[in-house]
Amino acid sequence: MAGPLIPAPAARGAGAPRAQSGPARILPGAGRAAWLVLRRLGMLTLLLAAVFAAIEVLPGDAANATSERGESAADMVARRAALGLDRPVAERFGTWMTGLPTGDLGTTAHGQPVTTVLAGPFPNTLLLGTLALALSIAGALALGSWAALRPGGRVDRTVAATATAAFALPEFVVSIALLLVFSLWTGWLPAVTLTGPDGAPASWDMLVLPLLALAVPQIGWNTRIVRGALADQAALPHVRAAVLDGLTRRRILSHHMLPGALPAIAVGTATSAGMLLGGAVVVETLFNYPGVGAVLAGAITDRDTPLVAGVVAVTGAAISTLLLLADLVRDRTLGGRP
Amino acid sequence: MGVTRRQLLWAGAGIGAAGALAACSSGKGGSTDTAASGSASEQPRSGGTLKVGALGKASAVTRDPHGTQANESDYLILSLVYDTLTVPGDRTNTAPRLAAGWKPSEDLKTWRFTVADGAKFHDGTPVTADDVVWSLKRLRATPSGASRLPGIKPEGITAEDARTVVLVSDYANADLPLLTRLTTFVLKKGTGDDAIATAPGTGPFKLDWFRDGNARLVRNDDWYGGKVLLDAVEVSIFESPQAMANALLAGQIDVASNVGAVAARTAEARKDVQILRRPNDMAMPIVMRTADGPFADPRVREALRLAVDRDAMVKQVLSGYGTVGNDVLGTGDPAFAKDLPQRRRDLDKARQLLAEAGFDSAKTYDLLTTEDISGLAESATLFATQVREAGVKINVVKQDSKIFWDASWLKAPLYTTYWGTNDSVVFFASKTMVSESGQNEAGWKEPSFDEAYRKALGTADTAERATALHRLQEIEYAKSGYLLWGMADGIDLAGAPVRNLPRLPGYGRVQLEKTWLAR
Repeated sequence: MAGPLIPAPAARGAGAPRAQSGPARILPGAGRAAWLVLRRLGMLTLLLAAVFAAIEVLPGDAANATSERGESAADMVARRAALGLDRPVAERFGTWMTGLPTGDLGTTAHGQPVTTVLAGPFPNTLLLGTLALALSIAGALALGSWAALRPGGRVDRTVAATATAAFALPEFVVSIALLLVFSLWTGWLPAVTLTGPDGAPASWDMLVLPLLALAVPQIGWNTRIVRGALADQAALPHVRAAVLDGLTRRRILSHHMLPGALPAIAVGTATSAGMLLGGAVVVETLFNYPGVGAVLAGAITDRDTPLVAGVVAVTGAAISTLLLLADLVRDRTLGGRP
Repeated sequence: MGVTRRQLLWAGAGIGAAGALAACSSGKGGSTDTAASGSASEQPRSGGTLKVGALGKASAVTRDPHGTQANESDYLILSLVYDTLTVPGDRTNTAPRLAAGWKPSEDLKTWRFTVADGAKFHDGTPVTADDVVWSLKRLRATPSGASRLPGIKPEGITAEDARTVVLVSDYANADLPLLTRLTTFVLKKGTGDDAIATAPGTGPFKLDWFRDGNARLVRNDDWYGGKVLLDAVEVSIFESPQAMANALLAGQIDVASNVGAVAARTAEARKDVQILRRPNDMAMPIVMRTADGPFADPRVREALRLAVDRDAMVKQVLSGYGTVGNDVLGTGDPAFAKDLPQRRRDLDKARQLLAEAGFDSAKTYDLLTTEDISGLAESATLFATQVREAGVKINVVKQDSKIFWDASWLKAPLYTTYWGTNDSVVFFASKTMVSESGQNEAGWKEPSFDEAYRKALGTADTAERATALHRLQEIEYAKSGYLLWGMADGIDLAGAPVRNLPRLPGYGRVQLEKTWLAR
């Protein structure tokens, strides 16, 4: 996914000419939305092709990864054929892609339908990811606004430094610190997630630590975006006018600064979604959270192409949806202006 | 508080679900850990739910008792629901289970197994020889079927009457019942592949629910094998040993199964945690190719065996959780030759042997290894340092697991291997050392060894057989391609109330019917 892509202030500045892609000018409204959807679908297809190619390049294959020691060469050939590994990778990709529209994600190297393997974990990851995203947006808005209202002050500087530090911390460091403090030392929260009969975490408090481990770095990331976007807004004439009019800080923030900062925040949020799912692989393993992160880690070890592609497809679809929403928010906010 | 950051950072280093091949032989018993077996005054108590954590990958979960069980968690669940014909024993390699007894023909080729009295499936149907035959044939038809039931062709599996199963081996095999300990899970005849997940078993526990590798099992009050003590067992799947250890330390589970030495060190400071050691659990020998190459001369192999510092290996590689080896595989077998002199470090002798053999000390030799299980790559590195003192220069090459098993295993002149089971002396001989064995790791062909092996397998007389087995081990000790420096303990962590966990090595740990909770 893209790196820190904060739109250049010029693109959002009043009166500045807006960078506009060709088709968007031609296709108004629904047509433009469709174009955005198509673009995201195209990206997802490319990504899936890359997944197939990448696993092909890795040494070994699913047949020997899932065999038992002592299987003969003939057994291995049979296993390869059973898994379809004797066919060229492009053909396997084609077959897999044609099944996709019907909801068929193929069969894992261990003989299970990919959809069955993901049925429990994917909703769990979505739950964790959505909560972490909500928490990081809420946290970032609060911290970013708090700092933006006191530009250059001690609060502003402290928030900026803390946010940078938080974002710089890898998830596993945050996870280990949280585990030590809140579970092993104090015993306040469970150390790991155990799974109940429905495939979901057995109790709600098992969500807290993974949630925090995922959200903390993202709060750092988004706080900087919110703070930056609000700073851009603060420089605009209508905000200056509002200040001169003597409006309250809260009102200036909510009515004059935040609406204009929204597109940048939406893009930041969408970027966060990608990073959250990346971090989930680590966090889910450390906390034994039953999500797709754990499935993905094992699937890569097993060179289990359909399963890896399945995980990428469902998470990619989720992230693409978010990116699309962010596009639409930007489009709505900026699209009307000349 | 036990867990240091450094140890936590190691999480994931030792996922290593042991080699898929498994089974085991009787342990030496005699553990010093009284808490595990309960003090003498304690009476086994019935009731309670035991929460067990077991390693496994969510992506590799299988429900098929005859499938490839890469996950310990799956194997544990299957072993509680289904029964194998025989199981690893306390005092003998093989103990009865669904087969109450067995009898060979005169030539040791035909074996008759009798189904246990009162054995029935969880739905109440009695177990018949037909069910067993059908299940064994299903097992035989899997891709690894030939290596799981070596020497037994599908047509050699028949039912003689309602309670007698006949297995015919291609060759005389006094140890045939040993083969039926591992994955000979018995299902009802004709169970369809789509019904496997809910198929009734015959085991001490019945499946209550299963979800994504986690399961709850409840006691089978009707079990033919005796009274089961626990009300229920809950199995949780863990990707990482460290997460599993954390779950135990936080009191979320009662047993962290096969969690490893790193977690054991973590738990050492905690009085409320039992560290249970299962001796002779894992062999991780160094293989020296005997067929050709720089180690083909037996004097060179002997020199390397004398150059290694075994105590240091056990102490550093296994954190002391293990025992020194003596180059003979099958250390847990009652027939293991304990009287062979223990090899110790002797650098002078090693140098002398190398000189006699004309070994090229100017060259550097590659030692290939993987990080499949924790300690394996470390053992290679330490070994290389040690033998340098005898004038052998070794360069350790860590390979990706897939490349290693594909390109180096069975082929390289010098590599590490491991067996996630400490099976009998005969098991290793037949799998890895007899000239024609399929996994002859060192490319070893030794007529006198083959002869001793055939004698041991083809002899019914106990004393004569013991002599042949001893002879076999003497030859292995003197000439084989293995340098077995030590045996790793299997390590479980358990909460204070857990009593009578199985202490057998390898997959011997899965029989939980006698386990109970003092709370």
